[in-house]
Amino acid sequence: MKYANLAALGAIAWAGLQPWSAHAELTPRQNALLANNCLQCHARPSTGAPVIGKADDWSARLAKGDTALLRNTVEGYKGMPPMGYCSACNEDDFRALIAQLAGKEIGTP
Amino acid sequence: MKFPRTMNRRTVLRAGTALAAGAATGGVLQGCSPEATEPQAPLPFTSGKPLPWTNWAGNQACTPATRAVPASEAEVIDVLRNAKGTVRAAGASHSFSAVVPTDDTLVSTDLLSGLVRHDPTTQQAEIWAGTRMHALGPMLHSVGQALPNMPDMDYLSMGGAIANSAHATGTGFGSMSSYVAGLALATPSGELIECSATRNPEVFQAARTSVGALGIVTRFTLQNEKAFALTEVNRVETTEDVLADIDNRCRQHRHFEFMPLLHSDLCVTIATDLAQPGDKDEGEDDPQAINTLRSVFNAVRWLPGGDTLYNQALTTFMAGDASTVRTGPSFQVFPHVRVVRFREMEYTVPAEAGPACVREILATVKQRNIPVCFPLEYRYIKADDIWLSMFEGRDGCSISVHQFGDVDFKPYFAEIEPIFWKYEGRPHWGKIHTLDARRLAALYPRHWKDFQEVRRALDPQGRLLNAHLKTLFGA
Repeated sequence: MKYANLAALGAIAWAGLQPWSAHAELTPRQNALLANNCLQCHARPSTGAPVIGKADDWSARLAKGDTALLRNTVEGYKGMPPMGYCSACNEDDFRALIAQLAGKEIGTP
Repeated sequence: MKFPRTMNRRTVLRAGTALAAGAATGGVLQGCSPEATEPQAPLPFTSGKPLPWTNWAGNQACTPATRAVPASEAEVIDVLRNAKGTVRAAGASHSFSAVVPTDDTLVSTDLLSGLVRHDPTTQQAEIWAGTRMHALGPMLHSVGQALPNMPDMDYLSMGGAIANSAHATGTGFGSMSSYVAGLALATPSGELIECSATRNPEVFQAARTSVGALGIVTRFTLQNEKAFALTEVNRVETTEDVLADIDNRCRQHRHFEFMPLLHSDLCVTIATDLAQPGDKDEGEDDPQAINTLRSVFNAVRWLPGGDTLYNQALTTFMAGDASTVRTGPSFQVFPHVRVVRFREMEYTVPAEAGPACVREILATVKQRNIPVCFPLEYRYIKADDIWLSMFEGRDGCSISVHQFGDVDFKPYFAEIEPIFWKYEGRPHWGKIHTLDARRLAALYPRHWKDFQEVRRALDPQGRLLNAHLKTLFGA
């Protein structure tokens, strides 16, 4: 029920992002967390956050490695708030969501 | 708080770069501002270990033994019935005060989000309590409705906003809690209580601003308006001119607020009204503008006569700027992007005491030479009858002070907080303050005891009381 609502909310942000949706298979729950938390900044270029699926925004960040990206996500880094607003996320969620945003396979360097 | 685009990157960078360059040439730029002392996250993260919870501002943290993420009302009730230890709920984690931390059970409301039902005849809509404001705006717009007023950022969850009586500005508008026409509360015993002004009215009056001390609200019915568009105009003006004209400004505009610039005669005014044909949007704010102000401040403040130089710099580079305009659907104009970390204290004083209180704060910062440049924020909110609302029984003027997130806020806030006490200020429940139950009870003489009775009836074992709430409620 709530997933359906959240999916509707994220629909606009998802439009046009299908090329990246193939990179990381998110669960319905993770899709809901993405819509409720991540997309409010990562689908809004004016925030300065790296835009979902925009390779140029992510290349330097990905170069730091998965561990650093995960740590920066949980602890916060510059404009990125601690946990990216997601108090519901566990470590697996964060890894999957980062991969989705960055347009990469989970666990790939 | 927002930082209007009037102080745009181009304009202030021109000042900041020139001033900073001059200072650097002198070879003495170092030591000109309080050094960064605060870590972004109080608790480090280690892969494979339990995740810490940290609030947006990075000044509150905990490592809960259990994280519950209920996806339905039944799951909320189940969590509350079976939870071990102290139970606290988190929405967007935007509170600056310690309302969330628990090392026992943390309940995330992320999955309790969305529209339940709406009524086009009454303009009411029922929503799940974990709905974030950034989602609520488009959600209501799709059914032709809008919140009458919204805070200046939309990261908050509605559950958190209402638990803490979050607000915006406008003498004709109450807090977010005042738009709640009904709610469903899951109690620590696992009961679900539906309440409104006519159904379980005492629970309703307590639960509309409860600091999360009664249970977990699962649904709200909001009294909205027909969807509308707004135009916001920002200007740089002189603080004393604005204060001398404050009643007129509030009458003339649907929403009015201003942000005094410390160590300066200037302020930024923000006037928002219903959009008119021909209003032209000039684009988004610069979310980093406040950092530019900081660089200007740091570049000149340490110099002999630094206050004068800073004031002159701001006057030279800002006061001549034309006004800037944002226009569009209300849910897009009310909020602003917020990416610069800070900590905030806010008190609400009686509306008529606002000008004197803000003048005393400005004078104190100047006279005591407090090294801070983050602007104040000055807003008005209509009175309500909610038992623990900061606006209960009186129109309020909310004045906020901020410090950058990488600097210890305590010395600055300690200088200012007694000024708020002098004007009978009530602290914002979700922001930083040092009051305990004895002093808070004196600020809410009509209904403090009423609230405590409801709280004890719903949570007799104090399962929802973390250390901060025990201090607040004397339990």
